[in-house]
Amino acid sequence: MTITVTINGSLRTLTIDPGDRLLDVLRREGYMGVKVGCRTGDCGACAVLLDGRAVNSCLVFAAKADRADVVTIEGLERDGQLHPVQEAFLDEGAVQCGYCTPGMVISAVDLLSRTADPTEEEIREALSGNLCRCTGYVKQIQAVKRAAERMRRDPR
Amino acid sequence: MTGIREYLRPASIEDAWAELSARGEAARPIGGGIDVHLYVPPGTTVLVDLTQAGLSYVREEDGVVIGATATFTQIRESTAGESYLGGVLRDVLARVASPLQRNLGTVGGTLGSAHPWSDVIPLLLVLDASVVVYDGARRTESVADYLAGRAAGERPLLVEVRLPPAAAGSACAFEKFAATGFDVATLNCACFATVRAGRCEAARIAVGGTPGLAVKLADAEGHLMGQRWNPKTIARAAAAAAAAIDARDDRRATAAYRRKLAQVGVARCLRRICAEGGGTE
Repeated sequence: MTITVTINGSLRTLTIDPGDRLLDVLRREGYMGVKVGCRTGDCGACAVLLDGRAVNSCLVFAAKADRADVVTIEGLERDGQLHPVQEAFLDEGAVQCGYCTPGMVISAVDLLSRTADPTEEEIREALSGNLCRCTGYVKQIQAVKRAAERMRRDPR
Repeated sequence: MTGIREYLRPASIEDAWAELSARGEAARPIGGGIDVHLYVPPGTTVLVDLTQAGLSYVREEDGVVIGATATFTQIRESTAGESYLGGVLRDVLARVASPLQRNLGTVGGTLGSAHPWSDVIPLLLVLDASVVVYDGARRTESVADYLAGRAAGERPLLVEVRLPPAAAGSACAFEKFAATGFDVATLNCACFATVRAGRCEAARIAVGGTPGLAVKLADAEGHLMGQRWNPKTIARAAAAAAAAIDARDDRRATAAYRRKLAQVGVARCLRRICAEGGGTE
């Protein structure tokens, strides 16, 4: 079957199998920032924005993305400039091995798109579906706080 | 996923029913589709995705009306999620899976799958929820009747869930015991009560993950109905709940441990109802 989907702002027409997962289709199309972790919705490494909300792409049928808007980690930068959440992750040293980072960043972007000034509890809750096996959660939370401050100061 | 040969996204519940009827056992309706990824029913070759069928709504209308494909996030962020019975929908649904899954998972998917560990089902049972279903015609039935029909092999499509307006002096509480923050429940329970002038006028208690599907416990409720709302009646109701559940061993817990959890969980819920306004009217 064929789907038409906007990926990172580009309209794409893709041929897929009806049972394909969005995760596998995105990686097949070269969006390798979408990581394969558990494939059961537990780890969050494969998170993408689907119509603005962060989801486990391993649990989404690609066919569901027909006529939808998908944003992967590769789609967050603007004109060569990283997204404030990406910048804050670098500045705070919140990236360790890096495997969980794309998913964490996507979850944080979802949160900050709705809540300009989240509490620490809200940040922890928003990241609770993203597992970091380096267990570096403190700096990731700090990074989201810093990103929120920057985005309030300089909304894009 | 191997075996899936067709993926349909009908624009109405009537179209969805027609597609499902035409394809028989091979077709399965889905909302977010999470469940099919994790537990694909054998023989399924067609998925009928209901999310384009106009059922993704949450409305305050003689209580609350929740469309079958409204996501948990959508319910939590709705006005009703915030206001109904002191925000019970917002709070309880925060205990269901992770935010990433709540952006996909739907109330219809949960009821349609009817997993025994569902946190939503005990909540809906004690809220006295009804469901509107479609199988060629619309009809309304209680959640308990829907689940009984489902167990007997009936497969009507879920259209919406309806929560009745809550009487003054009512409150609801939920308790979940799980191995990790978003593991499925080892046991869960929900309680609802209407308490006026210190006396219990309505009480509903449901316990799930026993490890069977959640059911209401009439015996335990009987210890509260018409009684003074105090620590003694709470303790009696909690003990009756623990005795009444169909507790069994599985890899998560023993039957004996589940009875302890039921007693502690129901008592916590009832005490919280007391603290959160049950009886203050």
